[in-house]
Amino acid sequence: MSIIEKIRKNVYDGDENNTVELVKNALDEGKTPKEILDEGLVAGLRDCGSGFEKGEKFIPEMLLSSESMKVAMVVLRPLLLEGSGIGGTGRAVLATVEGDVHDIGLELVGTMLETAGFEVRNMGPDVPTEDIVEAVKEDKPQIVGLSALLSNTMDVMPDVIEALADAGLRDSVKVMVGGAPVKQDFADEIGADGWAYDAASAVPKAKELRAQLSD
Amino acid sequence: MIYDMYGNTQEVTPYERMMGSLNGEKTDRVPVNYYPRWAALEYAGVTFKQAWDNPDLYVKAQIQAQERFQYDCIIDYDMMGPVEEAMGAKLKYPENDVPQIAEPLIKTKEDMEKVKWKLDPRKDGNMPKVLYVVRRLKEELIKRGRGTQHVPIMTWGSCPSRTAACLTGFKEWFLIVARDPDWAVELMERALDGWLQMVVAAWEAGVDCVWVNDPVSSRDCISRDHYEKLTQPYERKFIEAIRRETGMNITMHPCGNWHDRMDLVYQNQADSYFLGPMDVEMCTQKAVETNEKGLSRVTSLNGNVGAATKSTTDGQTAVPYATTMKRGKPEDIEKEAKAVIDAVEGADLRCILGTNCWDVKGSSFANRDAMVYAARKYGQYK
Repeated sequence: MSIIEKIRKNVYDGDENNTVELVKNALDEGKTPKEILDEGLVAGLRDCGSGFEKGEKFIPEMLLSSESMKVAMVVLRPLLLEGSGIGGTGRAVLATVEGDVHDIGLELVGTMLETAGFEVRNMGPDVPTEDIVEAVKEDKPQIVGLSALLSNTMDVMPDVIEALADAGLRDSVKVMVGGAPVKQDFADEIGADGWAYDAASAVPKAKELRAQLSD
Repeated sequence: MIYDMYGNTQEVTPYERMMGSLNGEKTDRVPVNYYPRWAALEYAGVTFKQAWDNPDLYVKAQIQAQERFQYDCIIDYDMMGPVEEAMGAKLKYPENDVPQIAEPLIKTKEDMEKVKWKLDPRKDGNMPKVLYVVRRLKEELIKRGRGTQHVPIMTWGSCPSRTAACLTGFKEWFLIVARDPDWAVELMERALDGWLQMVVAAWEAGVDCVWVNDPVSSRDCISRDHYEKLTQPYERKFIEAIRRETGMNITMHPCGNWHDRMDLVYQNQADSYFLGPMDVEMCTQKAVETNEKGLSRVTSLNGNVGAATKSTTDGQTAVPYATTMKRGKPEDIEKEAKAVIDAVEGADLRCILGTNCWDVKGSSFANRDAMVYAARKYGQYK
């Protein structure tokens, strides 16, 4: 098993104690930070997400996988951000909607967007709608990313979109939605501008939406 | 000349109808219980915060809404919060939602000592306010029934897993489940008594039945193995303690998607199960099977308008976001209500019509009427 495969399996297994050492070993072996991120950490987390969808993994196991990734990112993040030109691509405000405490996917999307050059304000989980609106007023982002893992908190997403419209901010941002139960048809129904299946596909979608806005 | 002056009088009261169904008995027809906190507040035009700050307003809203919509059970404040707050947790009170934990109380094992585990519901925190509402509801119902209580009152009890998760924060709770199951057990063991004392005090104040709930042990959250070994034993312990102390009928609400573990859920020994968004046919079949094996005592199933669709029946996919009460039309409610009645009563269990726990808030009055209308139209016992 290659070192990258080991990292991938380590994240999938949620073995948070060994990830940092494996990542350091991979760097010593000459693997690039992006290779380690994409093919090791993100791939492991994606495997875990697939396991979640199949009913083989659950929130505790997902959290352990996320924790494994987080500790590795302490080492990897500075290397990834070198030369990424943060903010050059645009600004993004990310939040898991109110009532939903899940932030694994959100953190991953935040990291991926940063590495793609976005300046990211990650507001974390369980964010009141009015706080999201306030952050949009303050930061003037081009992208607002909303996450929900629960089917009963998905219904907060249209509330946020409505609140942005009420505040006169809707035309200045592109709203992306995501999370396990969120699908394209739901995004269409609530008037979101974009949906992404996972963190990796969120980046091109964010870039595509960003390009639709003039500065 | 014969005067048919009582021709329009209902011979069976909501109390008799609801309690009959909880006991597995047929009265005149299927009752309706959709946990009407929001139905009442929206009918009265008040926010939750307003009703929390003014308990008499909450009582008035409950009484008036039941008279308007004619469902068969009313509830007290019906929420997580009073017990956790009395234990020491800080809550935030949104303007129009139930309270939420502002900050986890337990971050380390040492924090366990900060918690006030032994509670007196008559004195501690806002628990007396809940008991006041129960007493006032009882008074009003008896007064309006001219000495007879025509509508039952239901109260709330959080299962130990939920209380533990509220004290630690949900994310941390799931990490504790993964990393330190022994600590999870200790948390639930100590968390059980607070809500038990609250339910017992509410029973002494006048409630007639209780629903207990667990939103953190569903298939959306933890594995069947974790459920069976960690949290289910404490659900059962909690339910059996309530029965032992009060003798009340108990409804359990497994909140979320529990399709892969309903056989275990039914062994918690509640009388009734509020199915939320789950597939009614599959849940009915499982209830019959576990009853036949002597593993459960299910008399009735409460649900399930808004979920009786084929999209939820594979037991794998997440429950649909589209919910009929909020987004459907009265004819949709009628159609789904008929399907639910046919499924549950067809298996000789009692059906109590209801919907998803989050689905009443914001639903139209016409849809609420349609559910009661459907119970009268399709739920008559011969």
